[in-house]
Amino acid sequence: MAPKFFWAGTFFFVSIIAVSTLSQAGEPTESIRKTADRIIAIVSDPELQTSGKDVDEKKSHKDKLKKRNRLVREAVDERFDWEEMSRRTLARYWRDRTDDEKKEFIDLFGKLLERTYLDQVEGYSGEKVLYVGETVDGDYSVVRVKIITKKETEIPVKYRLKKKGNDWFVYDVIIEGVSLVNNYRTQFNTIIVRYKYKGLIKRLRAKVKTD
Amino acid sequence: MGFLNRMLLFSICTLGITAALVSAAEMPISHLYFQQEGEDFLVPDVALHDLEEVVEKPNTNQSVPLKSCKKEVSEEATGDLDDPLELEMDMQDMDLIADPLEPLNRVFFHFNDKLYFWFLKPISTGYGKVVPEVLRVSIRNFFENLSMPIRAVNCILQGDIKGFGTELSRFVVNSTLGVAGFGNPAKQLFGMDMQDEDLGQTFGLYGLGPAFYINWPVLGPSSVRDTIGLVGDSFLSPMYYAVDATKYKIAIKGYEMVNRTSLKIGDYESLKKAALDPYISLRDAYHQHRQHKIKE
Repeated sequence: MAPKFFWAGTFFFVSIIAVSTLSQAGEPTESIRKTADRIIAIVSDPELQTSGKDVDEKKSHKDKLKKRNRLVREAVDERFDWEEMSRRTLARYWRDRTDDEKKEFIDLFGKLLERTYLDQVEGYSGEKVLYVGETVDGDYSVVRVKIITKKETEIPVKYRLKKKGNDWFVYDVIIEGVSLVNNYRTQFNTIIVRYKYKGLIKRLRAKVKTD
Repeated sequence: MGFLNRMLLFSICTLGITAALVSAAEMPISHLYFQQEGEDFLVPDVALHDLEEVVEKPNTNQSVPLKSCKKEVSEEATGDLDDPLELEMDMQDMDLIADPLEPLNRVFFHFNDKLYFWFLKPISTGYGKVVPEVLRVSIRNFFENLSMPIRAVNCILQGDIKGFGTELSRFVVNSTLGVAGFGNPAKQLFGMDMQDEDLGQTFGLYGLGPAFYINWPVLGPSSVRDTIGLVGDSFLSPMYYAVDATKYKIAIKGYEMVNRTSLKIGDYESLKKAALDPYISLRDAYHQHRQHKIKE
């Protein structure tokens, strides 16, 4: 009922939290690794451990979780190009948007993704990531990694990055051949065709609000 | 050898059927757009104003069977890198799967959703509490080892002699050193990866498109091509010959499903949580994944 490709229980952030092993790697891989190491540091920081079962600790537990989520969000924001992602997800509908609409969309889409990756960070249980290789072509590159779960499964993940200035930014994540951007593009396109752009925004807002 | 003969005969027959179905699916399918009620897409009412859109954008939701399977090798090599111009592309250029049965598929999707949350998930969770994870992984390995003939034969059908050899070696190593397939020393000691091939992928490699999407009750996402493949593959499963009564076959399949599900609880929930329309998300993920597997 739940086939293997189901986002592989990782979505895309488990992979960023990673222990790296490859010694030689190019700029794009290094940028992924840098973010990964930073998130690992946050998740494994004893100061921010959220295991407080004590009733007295409940409040501080909540505060810690909040702080941790904020730090993870910052680290992720630095590496992901949300605008590029939004542009590619809306594809041809992007051009018809006003600046305000674009801003709103980037914000909502970012929030939708954020919920998912924060969940994944929460559920991180020591998966290992191997950096398999990278391809660079001008301002575009692909970094390939392999996630090895504790259940003896391997999940191939590809990051697509674009160079902006001196740094590389992720604009798509491909898990077992399933591109995140393409998947959302298909969903969003279907919704826009049936309910117009307004309908999409309405649904996005409702989705971000619910748990 | 009996397997192989049977398989070849079967694939020739099914190739004909699939080709007919594919050409049928390529015929223009008139598109109806359905009004969504609330979060749930289940109750489809044809809305007239949406039908007008069909006139404006006749092709937006139509897929291109076959096209996707004719990817050149050179394209694959550079396919990793995006052309900036890709942004300008229309949805028509996107690789979508046709879905003429969408209303029915959505009913089955809903059914499977309930099946998962009401039965499969509670049963698998309970089972997972009783049986330790190591053992469940071993049981999964055991079933995977048993289905070696499916992968091996499809390696041959795809002209992948090396893959065929790997599958045979894996079977020998895992059945002996790995104690009847419960362990996976072929991977752990010798680094031999499982060749995850099936008849649907073989058809895809031969140039057949998926025709259209089918979301089966219980079995989940599939396509015309992959369903035929699944039936063909089932003749290669040792279980087909070893177990007589259908009820035992179903029982074993059911147990395997519970065991497998217990190892991936949370995956479906993640997909649902991340998706704006889980049905479309799953359909697209299935299609993208299959295309990827065929290219591999």
